[in-house]
Amino acid sequence: MADSVVPVDEFVTDEWYPGFRPAYGHAPFVVEPFGTFSKEDESRFWFLDFHWSRGLTPLGLLWNEDGYGWGTQFAAELMPLPTGRGVAQRIAGTHTYAASIPVNSPQEVQRRMDRMRRYLPGFLHDFESTWARHVAELDEGFQYFRGIDFRSVPLERLAPLLREARAYHRRAFEIHFAMMYPLLANFRGFCGVCSELGIDSDEIGKFLQGYDTKIAETDRELWRLTRAARSAGLETVFAAHDPERLNAELIAAGGAASGWLAQLTDFLDVYGFRTEGTADVALPSWREDPTPVLGTIKTFLAGEHDFDFDAAAKALHDEREDAIDRARSQLTLREQRIFDAALASVRAANFRWWQDDHNFHIDLRAALPLRWAALAVAERAGAQRPDDTLFLFWPELMAVATRQGSIAGFASIIEARRQYFEYWHERRGSMPRVLGTIPEFVDDPIMVEIFGLTRDYLAVTRAARSGAVVHRVTGIGAAKGTARGTARVLRDADELYRVLPGEVLVCESISPNWTPAFARIAACVCDGGGMMSHAAIVGREYGVPTVTACALATAVIADGDVLEVDGDRGVVTVLRSAS
Amino acid sequence: MSRFVLWLDNAGDTEDLPARIGPKLARLAELRSAGLTVPEGFAVTADAHRLAGKSASMPEEVRSEVVAAYEELAVRCLRMNPPTAVRSSAVGEDSADASFAGAFESYLGVRGPDRVITAIQHCWASMFTPRATAHLLRHGRDHRDMPMAVGVLELVAARSSGVGFSAHPVTGRTDRVVIEANWGFGEAVVQGHVTPDHVEVDKDDGRVLRYDVATKQVLSAFDPEAAEVREMPMPRQLRDRRVLDAEEIERIAEAVCRIERHYGAQVDVEWVIDRGRRSGEPVTIVQARPITTPTVESGAWDPAEYAARYAFGEQRAFGEQRAFGEQRAVRPDHP
Repeated sequence: MADSVVPVDEFVTDEWYPGFRPAYGHAPFVVEPFGTFSKEDESRFWFLDFHWSRGLTPLGLLWNEDGYGWGTQFAAELMPLPTGRGVAQRIAGTHTYAASIPVNSPQEVQRRMDRMRRYLPGFLHDFESTWARHVAELDEGFQYFRGIDFRSVPLERLAPLLREARAYHRRAFEIHFAMMYPLLANFRGFCGVCSELGIDSDEIGKFLQGYDTKIAETDRELWRLTRAARSAGLETVFAAHDPERLNAELIAAGGAASGWLAQLTDFLDVYGFRTEGTADVALPSWREDPTPVLGTIKTFLAGEHDFDFDAAAKALHDEREDAIDRARSQLTLREQRIFDAALASVRAANFRWWQDDHNFHIDLRAALPLRWAALAVAERAGAQRPDDTLFLFWPELMAVATRQGSIAGFASIIEARRQYFEYWHERRGSMPRVLGTIPEFVDDPIMVEIFGLTRDYLAVTRAARSGAVVHRVTGIGAAKGTARGTARVLRDADELYRVLPGEVLVCESISPNWTPAFARIAACVCDGGGMMSHAAIVGREYGVPTVTACALATAVIADGDVLEVDGDRGVVTVLRSAS
Repeated sequence: MSRFVLWLDNAGDTEDLPARIGPKLARLAELRSAGLTVPEGFAVTADAHRLAGKSASMPEEVRSEVVAAYEELAVRCLRMNPPTAVRSSAVGEDSADASFAGAFESYLGVRGPDRVITAIQHCWASMFTPRATAHLLRHGRDHRDMPMAVGVLELVAARSSGVGFSAHPVTGRTDRVVIEANWGFGEAVVQGHVTPDHVEVDKDDGRVLRYDVATKQVLSAFDPEAAEVREMPMPRQLRDRRVLDAEEIERIAEAVCRIERHYGAQVDVEWVIDRGRRSGEPVTIVQARPITTPTVESGAWDPAEYAARYAFGEQRAFGEQRAFGEQRAVRPDHP
């Protein structure tokens, strides 16, 4: 059916960023390397990965190698995933499209299924200690890099540090997916039990909610800082300046502001080693640039009320216990034994909790040591701009670090690459969300639960190919409730401070760093994301009606449209168009 | 002992009972001797039908016995011309290879000896309706080896009635009793003409797991003018009213479990609650039969098994299938 195929032609090329030709084996991979599109790719189903809506710089593309080409493919072989070999990626300019790598032989699927059956119970049994061990390993590694004074390390020392930081990065995503696949498999099995027992699918998320994570802890601390700013009388300073200027203005203000800035520093020492986007070496940490923190506190201060975390936490806890009691009351004693055992299993290895918590330890910080080393190389090697090295590919960066190449020699290429990045950043909004052959369904659990590639999503995407005018989009009702508000369509988390209280946030997807905004928005609508995506989890935690997996929300909805978001039915209606 | 009439309370426990009065009536007699409450009544035996042969009329020696029995029924019910349920009970009706239930006729609310006799003749004749003939042909049976007994049973004055299953009719699970209930007689329920109240009870501890009150549009009630049970619109006050109270649910579930134990097999049961019944008294069973649909035992949580089934494409949780609360259990095989 022609309507089900989105041609890949416009992205078929051998070209990468200007001045780069990949050499054979330049990127590590387990099953399928990361590369550019070819016409043959049209037979597969690709979707625009929402994690990096800015686009990735050359060094940022390390993610595709270490995260997908290594992490997912390694983990998919480790358990293994019976029906898939992890995620493959193709680059279109600076943006990446992802696809699952299927296992096509039924015989092999069967063997892998057998292996998965033997692997999973032990994994679940040991989950708590395994994850604690991994967190300790990641933390020890991170402390090692923190202990290095990158400002004074000589260039000779930076090449081995870069290699260590790279190994750390790769290992972090190895752990990430080795945890994620079995957790997700167990969670889906639990959904199956609930389905067999006649439990409403909307209830399942509640059973696992209300456990504290490092991300929620960070949000709570942000509110504590907000209250401290209020009691220090800093509201007028915050109100008077843009987030970018706030740090300087607060320093200049002195007095109570100095005391508050000391508190901010304490906060950043604990929670500030995180970027404002997922797994991207091009992004600074909050500690490096606290603008996002200051911007968030500015908007919190502009609101009338504090967000009461204790009340919200108690409400979540109570809702969880009520949901469990209600479900159990409808089960026979024999069924309760199954349900209780299954619930104990998914609680002990809580995918929902982990899905939030792991970001603190992995996604938001694993690229920082690489960033520190790369920026130090730029400085030591005499680059024109401090972030020039982010526009080098890994082999190029290593050449500079080992003095086999000079940064000056890359000057014009780096400039061309900066323009290339800007060009593709502009182009992002008009890029097709999917490419290739749109299937009836996708059975990779990550694609369904995290990316929200449900049957409905695929059906909507196919329908939109026919060019129908859309006033309504449907997706997954991820957090219940109905709300109306003005749409604010955002591409990047760094625009987040633009969202005004009571507006509806419309975006491709959110990562954990978007969560503070949920204390002030009326509703949230995402192109991607499943029941267990960040938007879904955070929407429920904050009681914000949220619809995910809308496929085309950012394409159909414009800034200023008045929307109604129905988080129960998963429907978004454009009540009044801004244009 | 009469050749053509056999009282259910006097049928004995002989092995040839199903051959004489058909398995349906034989089961009622058996349940009665097992201590369950079944309606008063008698069977017109298969021999009577054999004697009548293909002729539609009733031989005199049969007629006199039926009239006498009906008069005796009036005495037992302490009522002139008591309304009855006249039910077909063909010999060999539910042999293992073929379910004949529903192939033959039944008449509810029949009063007076003449009407009872006419109804019995109609039951006999229903062996030759196109539906019954097709059924016989399909199962390679001949009407000659399936003579028809007919039950003449006191029509219980039904406050409410319905069906009970010892295994979930949709999921096949055996740990809960499923009850469906409507006001009045059970015909509208078993024919699937009404959405009844739906109740599920834990067999192990008797807990009511769910009670879904339905909007019941249709009522089967006895029409004294026409002397028959017929369907009519449900009175407004009863439409959304909960049919069964906790005590009634307990008694119905108890009866269903007892019948299940008696047969050592899953059963479905038609029950009636008599208007005159007092709290604590048993409900009346008007029919019971083994369930032929496959049953499923509750398994155990096995993460690897469930992951294989639901995470990797073998089955879809919450996919196209509806939740089973939405699925109505309609018995297609009811008379």
